[in-house]
Amino acid sequence: MIDFELGDELELVRQTARGFADDHLRPRMREHESARALSAESCAAYAEIGFATLEWPEDGVGDELGALARCLVLEELAAADPGAALALDPLGPALYPLAEFGGREAVERFASPLIGGDPGRAVLVWNGPGTRRPLARNRDTLSGVVPWVPADRADLLVVLDDAGAVVLERGMAFEPLRGAGLRSAGASELTLQDAPVAAEWQDAEAARRALARARLYAAGLLLGVMRESADYSRLYALDRVAFGKPIAHHQALAFLIADMAIALESARVLTREAAWRLDAGLESQQACATAFLEAAEAALFVTPNGVQILGGHGFMQDHPVEKYMREGRALGLLFGGVDGAREDAEAGLRDAGDEGLLALGAA
Amino acid sequence: MDLSLDAATRKRLETIRALGASQIRPLGLEADRLGRPTPPDHAFFEGLVKAGQGRTRWTGEAPEPSGRAPAQGVGSSRTALCLAEEMAYWDRGVAVSFPGPGLGEPPLISMGTEDQKRRFLGPFIEPDRPRWGSFAMTEPGAGSDVAGIRASARKDGDSWVLNGAKSFAANASRADWIVVWATVDPSLGREGHRAFVVEKGMPGLVDFQVERKMGLKAYESTSFSLVDCRVPAENLIGGEAHYAQRAGFKGAMRSFNATRPLVAVMAVGIGRAALDASLDFAREHDLLEDRRVRDRLERVRRKILSARLLCWQAAWLADHGRPNILEASISKAMAPAAALEAAILGMEILGEVGGRGDHLVEKLFRDVKAMDIVEGTGQVQRLVMARQLVQLPRD
Repeated sequence: MIDFELGDELELVRQTARGFADDHLRPRMREHESARALSAESCAAYAEIGFATLEWPEDGVGDELGALARCLVLEELAAADPGAALALDPLGPALYPLAEFGGREAVERFASPLIGGDPGRAVLVWNGPGTRRPLARNRDTLSGVVPWVPADRADLLVVLDDAGAVVLERGMAFEPLRGAGLRSAGASELTLQDAPVAAEWQDAEAARRALARARLYAAGLLLGVMRESADYSRLYALDRVAFGKPIAHHQALAFLIADMAIALESARVLTREAAWRLDAGLESQQACATAFLEAAEAALFVTPNGVQILGGHGFMQDHPVEKYMREGRALGLLFGGVDGAREDAEAGLRDAGDEGLLALGAA
Repeated sequence: MDLSLDAATRKRLETIRALGASQIRPLGLEADRLGRPTPPDHAFFEGLVKAGQGRTRWTGEAPEPSGRAPAQGVGSSRTALCLAEEMAYWDRGVAVSFPGPGLGEPPLISMGTEDQKRRFLGPFIEPDRPRWGSFAMTEPGAGSDVAGIRASARKDGDSWVLNGAKSFAANASRADWIVVWATVDPSLGREGHRAFVVEKGMPGLVDFQVERKMGLKAYESTSFSLVDCRVPAENLIGGEAHYAQRAGFKGAMRSFNATRPLVAVMAVGIGRAALDASLDFAREHDLLEDRRVRDRLERVRRKILSARLLCWQAAWLADHGRPNILEASISKAMAPAAALEAAILGMEILGEVGGRGDHLVEKLFRDVKAMDIVEGTGQVQRLVMARQLVQLPRD
């Protein structure tokens, strides 16, 4: 029966992530952004918590807490710094193709070495529909240029398309870029010159599942970004006085602030639903695409208005709202972007049965 | 976290689905075509009562002690939401016309004395025939601004004398009784409000006028007057002691917080009906090859799903007795807009066919607009939200 309760375990996960973000990420967000990396101390503190293996299978490898747990952590970290959230997660969404195609064996072979004393970094590149410069396959190598990845280095590159995935460990050249957003994770143009393929799989179904989970990952980050932008600008509007009262008490802004809350909550419930579906083993590709789409659109409503509420101050880098606007935009470009997600969210329009599109009680 | 429905709820949905396809939707289309509410002596209502509909949820037993456990199963707000959405999917106007105590039931249950519950809800436990209750707050000059009602109540010996005009009360002219809100002193604002049960045939309850509406024609929205209408003291809901505790208006607001997601989810049902009907049309006319059409249908589907989840979330909080003012208002602000978008898009997909005025989608386009007005307009929801989010002053 309908129940939105997270339960003690997930609440603890969320509180832990929030505490870490408050202690390590929010106070140093600009520092991390200009350094394009986090301090070794913060990385060590995060590794200590053990969130890296949150979703991994139980029996010794991970905690098997599922997609919902990951979403909660990502929202909390991204509410401080979404780039840092990417930098801190050694596998990030690159975990999903490994797990979906290769299962436990691939996770242990490629992912486990990145966890531990000196965390490594895996990067997921989408090479399917929607990408502007597809990579070219030549026998056992991959070549081409990825215009932007939110990373300055990678120990492992996972290239996913709609039919399969390949894993690369060598042959990657990173040319640093300024980056539009997510700079705490780095920003580079990635060149592959006959990079040798270390492993590969072909399975369109697994590719769909991996992409769905990657989109949900991005949706989790987007939630944090827009939540913080909405909160920061709301508190500013209570403090800032114009025309004789706090600007929040002018109805034009009061209603805008309400609409920002509606947008955030709409995206949040869709993200929770998609995570629940994934964890319950239900069909979730459409749900994940839908959640990502809603989160990306909501973020592009909320975060520019976060800047707007602060007016001139919002445009200046003394306040974080301009950063959230850039991060919100950048996150929506990942994994084929919103138009790619739209295609998958539209699945089911053609073959909806007699009971209709959103029949109650349908699985 | 669980977003599945239990077997009992799914079973009840099946029943509504069968009734919806065979009777509720045809009846709604008929009322729309004829431009009048379904008459109270229609065989449909008789059949509903025989099938066990039209009853009160008051059991006739004393209330449970406070500190209640979370509402579960068929008694929960969440189940009520699922059933309400499915009813509205088939026809929201017909759903409101169903016999039963209606919106008068919540104030009687939450504020009424045991004697009042027995007198007014008792006949609805196992009704002998279709019976209706009604609820009248809105006035010609006071809609969203509930505190501004002007209908007056004056104590005179053992009774109260009511004067004023009420608008848009559902099922009022066919009701056994109407819960009427009036004020003992307009200068007191909400604290002056009192709720009375005005019974059919009481002298001074006059001038019933069934209004003509843009949509939702299957149920009557009725205006009436109170002209020196004399109501016995025992019909003041809760008795005078209840209002001495200054809980009068809070009583009304409490019911609003529980009903906002319930009304919002009816918009979800209407929107879903529009979405399914326009999707059928798009399929029949090979419009799904057009990405522009697909994109917009996807957006509507997403907004409707999101609205449903927001309603469920608010109801889940209510079932656990947790504050839900913000969540309830979010759902009520969001769902009608999503549903209207579904109907607007549906009309566009129909093209000239929508212009004929005889398609289900065209009816839904007219029906759905009411949902952003009743139970607090979208603007009132934003005011409520702003009070929570930025402590927006009331004046």
